[in-house]
Amino acid sequence: MATQDPDKLMAKADNLTKLSFTRWNADWRNATVLYEQAAVGYRFKKENEKAKEAFEKASKGQEMISSPWDAAKHMESAAALAKELGHWNEVSDFYRKASELYRECGRSQPASDALGKGASALEDTNPDEAVQLYIEACEILEEDGKEQMAFDLYRAVTSINVKLERYTDAATFLLRWGVAADKCNAVNSQCKAYLSAIIVYLYMHDFQQAQKCYNDCSQVGSFLSSDQGRCTSKLLSAYEESDVEEIKRLAQSSPITHLDHVIIRIARKLPTGDLKELKKEEDKAEEQTLDENDLT
Amino acid sequence: MSVIDILTRVDAICKKYEKYDVERLNGDNVAGDDAFARLYASVDLDVESALQKAETASQEKNRAAVVALNAEIRRTKARLLEEVPKLQRLALKKNIAFCEIFLYQVKGLSKEELSTRNDLVLALPDRIQSIPDGSTNGAKATGSWTASASRTEIRFDSTSDGRFESEYFQQTEESNQFRQEYEMRKMKQDQGLDIISEGLDTLQNMAHDMNEELDRQVPLMDEIDSKVDKATSDLKNTNVRLKETVNQLRSSRNFCIDIILLCIILGIAAYLYNVLKK
Repeated sequence: MATQDPDKLMAKADNLTKLSFTRWNADWRNATVLYEQAAVGYRFKKENEKAKEAFEKASKGQEMISSPWDAAKHMESAAALAKELGHWNEVSDFYRKASELYRECGRSQPASDALGKGASALEDTNPDEAVQLYIEACEILEEDGKEQMAFDLYRAVTSINVKLERYTDAATFLLRWGVAADKCNAVNSQCKAYLSAIIVYLYMHDFQQAQKCYNDCSQVGSFLSSDQGRCTSKLLSAYEESDVEEIKRLAQSSPITHLDHVIIRIARKLPTGDLKELKKEEDKAEEQTLDENDLT
Repeated sequence: MSVIDILTRVDAICKKYEKYDVERLNGDNVAGDDAFARLYASVDLDVESALQKAETASQEKNRAAVVALNAEIRRTKARLLEEVPKLQRLALKKNIAFCEIFLYQVKGLSKEELSTRNDLVLALPDRIQSIPDGSTNGAKATGSWTASASRTEIRFDSTSDGRFESEYFQQTEESNQFRQEYEMRKMKQDQGLDIISEGLDTLQNMAHDMNEELDRQVPLMDEIDSKVDKATSDLKNTNVRLKETVNQLRSSRNFCIDIILLCIILGIAAYLYNVLKK
């Protein structure tokens, strides 16, 4: 059967599905089989455009005969071909469709995997869309209670955000990662996520935010007594004392070297900016409060 | 002035002119019959020798010799302190035993002697303790050694690290070299320990990650387990049914019926053939 010309197969299948005078009901079952064969033939001949179309039609056929699993599989193949062709909006559309079909089957893991694949395909060309896909993938897993699998997705989101220099977003996602880790009792990952978030805040030279973040995270007992917690408190006190040597030494220390490499890179660049400025800002803030008191 | 003071003074003077005291040298076994006196004499002798050693220690230049002497003195002191309770008991026993049994004995102790003996025994521990043995300074240094780390840390012996400047320790070439070598070795040990601690940190991190990974895989394994169980039972069912079907096909009864029917058909065919041939 594979030796038959895929064009012929496509034509035949189209005939079966097109409603006309002689045909009142489209014969999707046979058509789907023919479409699948045609698609495989096209892929073998490396005619990606036609193969992609064939896969799309095959997927539609599978949907019609109510087998969403196969439909989703064909959608994924179509999306992979679209990626090779460089039709980026089609990539995201196809992967989204595939993910929906997987959810129809009730399988959340493949659904999120599909979105993850789409996001990694779009990382270079359309990073915003990629971030969006990653977020959706994380949400699917969290709904289903499978936060453990979401760690890799969070890691990817953080690296994209840091690359795009959206540090507040990166820090937000790190904190969400901490929440996910908390739910599945992954203490080590949680502490690492919190430490990374504080480093990101310090890299943005936002000491107040970092301090607030540390205070919030210290509510979690396991963070406070962990290696990462201790390292964080040392880092913040080094910042307060404007001790550059100490900051650099801590950036080489072991809790930070065991974080994600993206975070290590920005940690090595600490401290950014002038530490004395931080002190001046703090003093100014204190002075202002004093003035207000005087007025009252 | 109490009896003790007089006694000590007399002792000091006697010691000074000891070498002229032939009688004492000959009369060491005068108190041979008296157990208490014997023991007390021996203890006294030990105390004297310890004091002498302490004196030589304080004048000794060689630090190793000083250390050895101090150690000996300490040992002697400990031994003597053990003897003191024996002496006390003996002194009391003397009182009770002799007073009861030998009321009119010449060997019996008079009241004054009793009291003197008691006083001597009481004074003995103080004398023993006051022998200098070079450990009084060390006690203060160890006192300031508090554990301040938030976690338990491995600590090495560092009692007299910074105390080498006091006049108690005098430095020589040898001792300086010795100390330098000690510092070098300590530094090397510290470096080695730093490397070990880094390695341990990495191991700890890897172990934590492995722990989380395994936790992640436990529910997956459970799922796989249940799915494979289901597949196995399906397969068993199918096998049983297949076996039944195959048996039915190959049952001998069906086979015989097939053969008989075949023979009948052949017979009919032969009959027709014969009829047609005619």
